[in-house]
This record gives sequence, C-alpha cells and structure tokens, in this order.
Amino acid sequence: MANSPEYQKWFEMASKQMKGKTPDDIAWKSPEGIVIKPLYEANDIEGLPSVGTFPGMAPYTRGPMATMYAGRPWTIRQYAGFSTAKASNEFYRKNLAAGQKGLSVAFSLSTHRGYDSDNPRVSGDIGKAGVAIDSIEDMKILFDGIPLDKMSVSMTMNGAVIPILAMWIAAAEEQGVKQEQLEGTIQNDILKEYLTRNTYIYPPEPSMRIVSDIMAYASKNMPKYNTISISGYHIMEAGADSVLQCAFTLADGVEYVRAAIRSGMDVDTFAPRLSFFFGVGMNFFMEIAMLRAARFLWHKLLQQFNPKNPKSLMLRTHCQTSGWSLTEQDPYNNVIRTTIEAMSAVLGGTQSLHTNAFDEAVCLPTELSARIARNTQIIIQEESQICKVADPLGGSYYVEYLTAQIIEEAEKIINEIEEIGGMAKAIESGMPKMRIEESAARRQARIDQGKDVIVGVNKYRLADEKMDFDILEVPDSVRLEQIDRINQTKKARDTAKCQACLEALTKAAAGDGNLLEVAIAAAKARATVGEISDAMEKVFGRYVATTQCVSGAYSSEYSEAGSDAAQVIEALRKRTADFMANQGRRPRILVTKMGQDGHDRGIKVVASSYADLGFDVDISPMFQTPEEAAKMAIENDVHIVGASSLAAGHKTLVPELIQKLKEKGAGEILVVAGGVIPPNDYSFLYDVGCKGIFGPGTPITESAGKVMDMLEAQYCK
Amino acid sequence: MHKDPSYYIQGVLDNNRLMLARTITLVESTLSTHQEIAKHVINELLPYTGKAVRLGITGVPGAGKSTFIESFGTMLTRLGHRVAVLAIDPSSTRSGGSILGDKTRMEKLAVNDMAFIRPSPSSGSLGGVARKTRESMLVCEAAGFDVIIVETVGVGQSETTVASMVDFFLVLQISGAGDELQGIKKGVLEVADAIIVNKADGDNVNRAKLAKRQYETALHLVTPSSPNWEVPVMTCSALENKGLTEVWETITTHKQIMTSSGELDKKRQDQSMSWMWFLVNEGLERWFYRHPEIQKLLPGIKHDVEIGKVAPTRAADELVSILGKDLLL
Repeated sequence: MANSPEYQKWFEMASKQMKGKTPDDIAWKSPEGIVIKPLYEANDIEGLPSVGTFPGMAPYTRGPMATMYAGRPWTIRQYAGFSTAKASNEFYRKNLAAGQKGLSVAFSLSTHRGYDSDNPRVSGDIGKAGVAIDSIEDMKILFDGIPLDKMSVSMTMNGAVIPILAMWIAAAEEQGVKQEQLEGTIQNDILKEYLTRNTYIYPPEPSMRIVSDIMAYASKNMPKYNTISISGYHIMEAGADSVLQCAFTLADGVEYVRAAIRSGMDVDTFAPRLSFFFGVGMNFFMEIAMLRAARFLWHKLLQQFNPKNPKSLMLRTHCQTSGWSLTEQDPYNNVIRTTIEAMSAVLGGTQSLHTNAFDEAVCLPTELSARIARNTQIIIQEESQICKVADPLGGSYYVEYLTAQIIEEAEKIINEIEEIGGMAKAIESGMPKMRIEESAARRQARIDQGKDVIVGVNKYRLADEKMDFDILEVPDSVRLEQIDRINQTKKARDTAKCQACLEALTKAAAGDGNLLEVAIAAAKARATVGEISDAMEKVFGRYVATTQCVSGAYSSEYSEAGSDAAQVIEALRKRTADFMANQGRRPRILVTKMGQDGHDRGIKVVASSYADLGFDVDISPMFQTPEEAAKMAIENDVHIVGASSLAAGHKTLVPELIQKLKEKGAGEILVVAGGVIPPNDYSFLYDVGCKGIFGPGTPITESAGKVMDMLEAQYCK
Repeated sequence: MHKDPSYYIQGVLDNNRLMLARTITLVESTLSTHQEIAKHVINELLPYTGKAVRLGITGVPGAGKSTFIESFGTMLTRLGHRVAVLAIDPSSTRSGGSILGDKTRMEKLAVNDMAFIRPSPSSGSLGGVARKTRESMLVCEAAGFDVIIVETVGVGQSETTVASMVDFFLVLQISGAGDELQGIKKGVLEVADAIIVNKADGDNVNRAKLAKRQYETALHLVTPSSPNWEVPVMTCSALENKGLTEVWETITTHKQIMTSSGELDKKRQDQSMSWMWFLVNEGLERWFYRHPEIQKLLPGIKHDVEIGKVAPTRAADELVSILGKDLLL
C-alpha cells in the first residue's frame, strides 16, 4: 500500500528538521531483518488479515479470551526450586502466602537427566539449579502442606518426565487427591531439548513416544492437566531472534500434534490442552508482535487437522522474561529490564508470567530478589490500570505492522521446515540449530561492538563494581542428605515388588504399554528416578548429541562495521598468527561444559568466535566429568581450557579439572572459567589455580585478548 | 617444546598419553627446529611401526563419519583392538582458525581407554595434511595402536592424499532423494576399497538399498585397482550398530587377500616411494624459494612474464638454471 499524501507531507517536514537526512535514512534493520521505519500510518496496515479482529474470536491475534485481563489478570507463576525438597517446600509456602497463585517447580539438573543423587557423574549438580528429587519420598516432602487438588503445579521437566510425573501423581494419590482433580502443566517439550537445552535422556524417536504416552494417559485420566508446554523460551535464550523463536516453537507444536494423531488420538481430545511458553526479551514492540503473530499462525496451522472444537485452534501461553538480558554488572538494572519485558508479555496477551529475579545472572534468587520479581507483576496488575482494557495495542499502526511482518517471516521458515518433512526431520538435518547459533553469534558481535547497547556492560560501565547483596549458595551437604534418603528408601521398600515394577517398565518400553501408567506403579513401589530411567534406557539407549558449530558469523557482523571494531578483530588475528610463527602452531583452546547443565549457547558462541579470531578450537562433548575433560585436553594437547559454568557447579568442577590436569602431568595447561560465577567466588577460583574468569557480558574480543596475554607470557619469550 | 628426541621416543614407546599427544604436536609443528627433532623421533620409532591396519575414511559432510567411527571404533575396542583416530578438520581460509568438534560426536570413544582420538586442523595446505597425518600415524603405531583410522572431510583433494597413506580406503555415503551419484566423484570411486551407505535405519532403509544398487552400477564403470579385489558396496547403520561387523570382516578379508598376494607389501612400498618423492619435491621447492638470488630476481622475472616481455618457458629455464649454477659450485 502506497503512503498517503499526508505521509509525504510529514516526510518532507521531517527531512527538513533532520537537515539533509530523510526518515528513510534513519530506518533501523532489526535482528530479524525487518526494516523499521520511524513512523507508521493507516496505509501500512490496510488489508492485513491479522488486523480488525476481536479478542476471544478467531484468529485470536488479539488474545484467546474475550475480556482478557479486564476479566481476570494473568497468573503470576514464579519458577523456583533449589537444594532439597524440604528447603523448596518452605520457599513455596512463603511465596504462596505472599500472593503467588500457581507453583512452578525447577528441578536439579541431575534429576532432569535421570540420575539419582548418588551417581558419581552428577556430584557437582545436586540441588544447584533446582530441587533434587530421587523418589516419591522427596516428592511428598516437596508438596507437604500444599493441597494438590487446589494448587495448579507447573513442572519444568522434559528428560525424566516419566519418573517425575509418575511420582507427582503417586504423591498426590497418597495425599488423597484423585488423578482427575490434578491441575497444572508439565513442560514435556522434548524437541527443543535437542535444539538448545540438551536435557534429554533418550533418542528422539522413543522420546516422542513418551510425549504421546503422556498425552494419551492424561486425556483419559487427568482432564484438567496440560500435557505439554511447547517452549520457545530456551530457543530465544540460545540466541534466536523473535521470528526464529516464533517459527521453531510453532513447528515443534505441529510436530507434537502429528505425533499424537499418529498414536491414534483425535485432535480435539488433546489440542485444547496444549500450552505454549515464550521468552520475552528487550525489543519491546517486537516481543508484543511476536505473541500476537504466534496466536494468528497457530490458528492457521491447526486448520489442517480439521478440529471441531474452536479451543483446539487457540494458542494459550506462559511467558518468562529473558535470562540472557540480565547482567552481572550493575545488577539492579535488571529490575528495570525485567519490568519492561514483563510489560511486553502483558501487552502481548500472555496467560501467565514468570519475572526473573535481578540476581539471576549471578546466582539463584534469594528471598529478597524473588519478592521484587513477584511484586513487579503485582504492581503492573494492581497499580498501573493496564489490565482495564483487552489488547490495548490492537489497531496500533506499528504493532499491527510488526505483527504482520513476523507472521510473514515466520511462515516462510515454517514452510521450509514442512518441506524438510517436519520439525523432527529438520532437527535431524541440523538446520534450526545452525540458524539459532548463527543468530547468537551475530548478536554477540553486535553487543561486543556496542551496536546493541547494554547499560552497565558495554556502555555506562561502572568503574568500580561492588557486590552488595546476599548470594544464595547451595551447600554440598545437600548431596549427602539426598544420598541418605535414597538409602533409607531403598532399605524400607519391598525389593521384589519394586524390581517387578521396573521389569514391567522395561517390557512396556520394548512393547506398547503406556509408559506413564506402568511408571506410576513403580513410583509407588519406591523405585528411584535413576532406576525408572534406567529401566527404559535398557530399551531406548541414551542419546548422544552431535555438536555443530557455525563459523564466520561473528566476524561478519564486524566487517559490516568496517571501522575500529574491525581493527580489533584484525589485531587479534595478527596475534594468533604471530603465535603460530613463534610456536609452530596456532593457540589451541578446549572449550568444555562439565556437569549436567546443557545450556551450550555460551560455549558455542565462544568456539565459533575464537575460531574466527584464528584459534584452533576443540569442543568437548556435553555433560563431561572433570576427569574426561582433562583427558581430552591432554590428548588434543591444548594450551588452555575454557570451562563454562552456568549452574553453580564451578566451585567443585573447576578445581577438580585443575587437579586432574596436574595429576596427569599436564599442569602447564591453563584453565580459565566463564559463565555465571558470583564475584564472591572469584578469589576462591584464583586460589585453586584458575587463571582467568570471564563473567556474563564479557566481550569475546576482551576475553580472547586476555587469553592471548596469558599464552604469550607463558610461551613466547 | 622439549629438545631431546629421546624424551619423546621413550614416552611414545611407553604409550604415555601425554607424551603421545605432545609428539604429535611436535610432528605437526611448522617450525624447522621442531621438524629437525621430529625427524629423529620418527626415524627411531620406525622399527616399531607397520603392523597396524591403516584405515582411511572419507565422506561428504553429513554422511555420519564421526558417528560411524564412534560405533565402529567402540566395536573394535570390544574385540580387543587399540584404536587411534586421526581426524582432519578444515581450517578457515580467512582467519586460519578451526573448529575441532569431532569428539563431541565420539563421546564414548573419546573416554575409552583403548582409544585415542586426535583432531588436527588442516591448516590450509594439502602437503601439510599429508606430512602431519602420515607421521602421526607412525607415532600412534609405535605407541601400540593396531588400528589407525584417518578421517577426512570429503571435499577437495584430501581423499586421494589420505588414500595414498592407508591400506584400506572406505568411502561413506548416505542415500538422498535419487541424486546419490552426484555426490560422489569419479576420483573417489577409483581409490575406494569399499563404499558404505550409512544411515540405513528407520524409514531410510529402502532408500539406502536403492543407493547401494546405484553405486554398484557406477563401480562397474571404474577399472578395479586390484585384480583380486572387487570393491563391495554395503549398507550399515552406525546409529543402530547394524552392519559394522560386516565392515570389519571385509577389511580383514581384504588384508588377508592383499597380504597373501603380496599386494599389501607392494602398496606400502609404493606409498613409501611416493612419500619420498613428495618430500624430495617439497625439499626442492623450499630450496628454490629460499635461494637468495632467486628471491632477488623473482619479482622482476614475474613482472616480465606478466607483461609478455619474456616467455614463461624461458623464464622458467632461467630460474631453474640459477639452482643449477649452485650445484656446479
């Protein structure tokens, strides 16, 4: 649609005011590749199919409910869990008393990956990033005094879904609550685990069967339960822009619908219980538009399955503010970032929301930071009057235009995925992962150059950074406590009965029984998470990820700049080349992630960028023990190891790595650490021999420069 | 870097992992001082080499090479073999850096004490790949590894280079949507000792079988390199561990046939000879470019050729005769 005569007048006036520039000159190209003009008008949105509709009515662009928050505000649902079941239970009860409505459980990484707390592979993970659950006994403690017939419980669990859901159902029954009374959501979104978060256990095919089994079981026995939460959040956190998040999440959703239909279910029996989970970042209007676009597209995509129930076409979603946008530097700024993102989610029409705590770039939330996070939502709901009108931005030229743009761009990607044969096949081909990683590397480069501003990090940085708030630390005694309870549980149980249940589960895995149904019996017989997982692993095997890494994306963002920034890159490349001339080979670095934390965006970006700077970069497999990482460092004969830690494992894993290197006679291999490490732990790490620590927000060029300083000092005399 | 060759020699013979790794770094080094030491080391280790099965594996990106080696190598260690994997990863032509990610796809083999995996950057030059890999292979053999697998990305000329240093060259393929043969070059077919169609699993089994037939047809058009060996086309699934025993049986049968016919010895002799000539050429070239008079005259002569003042043949004669003068002195 051509611009109106009035727009032309405005254009001339604006050009005059800008002295020689025109509004076209200051148009901005968003990370999604969408060109944003400085002004929109009615002509920009005329005839768009997503415009001019009503909330609660197809295609639901303006929201799934007719009155939206004017009728009832979104649910404040804070994700939390740490340490032991007892500690988490106390935390939940306090939060519920303070105005929180639903519960959202974060599990320990060991639990996610189907390991019991006494497994030596997970010694650094127990209770660090979530609550450790080993058996139904832990689950009962977790929900002690919380009536499960009234409380809606959301559980972020994808890998060990079968044992955890089984234990929750069994614990509820032992509380006297019937299955049909249970309300809540299990994430159960395994596809995105292969894309970004990596907390899977089995290969894709049996994992998809698990998803279908859970859907089938719940559609029969738990009518009020959401059997899946199709998650874009982790895709965004891995570096995807809004178009990619929207497209990949919806494509995941379509794949689940197909899987359920293939397993014999009617679309209307499960589609109304599908829920979504989007991540909301700092690009305020883009995120609003993304949520609106997602609802429009879901309605369109689901038509192909001919549902009779309109609810099957309705996208309902939970949102969480972005963790990536949080900074370790000047951390109180995070309160403001989270507020802006929360507003974005609300104006986009979310059904429930988690707001991050300001200290989450550094550690687990404390009581204070959790309260501020919760109050951020309460204040929007109860003080700002924002809730009075449904979809207040409907009809905004800009927002409607953006919505249509995202619809268009995301649809292109979805079509591309359909041509590959659906999301499962696309994931196999590596396409989505490469796109996300490319987007992540570009974003890192923009941040490192200051093109994307982050206050307190690459602009207005404090000269003197002080940590003046408390840090929640999970003591290692948690592990011993868990191991104690496993031993007690095993001693008290009827071994023969438990064994029979586990054998039945293995048999069901090999045949076609419903895995959840069989696992509930095993949970009641006091089988552990590890035992239940192993019983299925016997048939399914354990999945090993293939790691791909893009190259060239980081430096290409720089060459676009052409200026000082490009010179920084060139200077570093010269240093690596000089090192080679001096040493007979390039500086060689192993980047590794030890422990069960599967968030590998950080190391991927580091690997890809360092290679662009002229390093030879080894990447370790996921989930390594320090011993394995040391072996790899030695066999590949690297100069330096970069250990990434995002889940509080640094205090056990990094010292152990340094120790193992020394034991094997390779003490000269340097070790640096990066990721979420509280500044208070820096001196501890330096004392055990860690040579450098790069916190969140450290520009790649800065860390690479420091690494070269160390290597030159040690090798080039 | 340690200066004493015996430090490396003893370490390798003791099968000390740290020393094995450092010796490979030494032979890979581009510094001439390191190369001098490396020459001594290789020479001393040579008597301890030659007994291993030398296996080359190539395939286009996505053919599942790493997954194949993970499953295949693990199977071999179960049979009691000690397996060394030398993986060559391409270096970026722009930055010179590289991403060495093979081990992420060889998770089990990477932590297996019967196996040793060493990824190396190609560093751009083909000669570089050949020199490093050949010598690294010898180092691994001296350390007691009895199966050496050299993995290379099937692009450029690297596969023929690798084929010229191994006993058995395995080409890994996957089935596509009917255009299989476009993905394979004639040159690769000529050096292949077996073609394996990987990923014969799930709904891909029939397509893999079809691809197998197409490769068999294509192979009929190629003159076999040995009268005693017909290049087999096999299917396997590294993912599901299917067909791997058959691949190993094929390799051992090949070895028996080639040994009894004397072809293996002949092949290795030829390889040694062509390796010698390769090094001679490389040495001559180095000598040529380092010659002070040539360095002085070269820019002028190049310019004269460019503008057509001097014919290329005459310019070449002139340059080579400078080396010749040296010899008469």
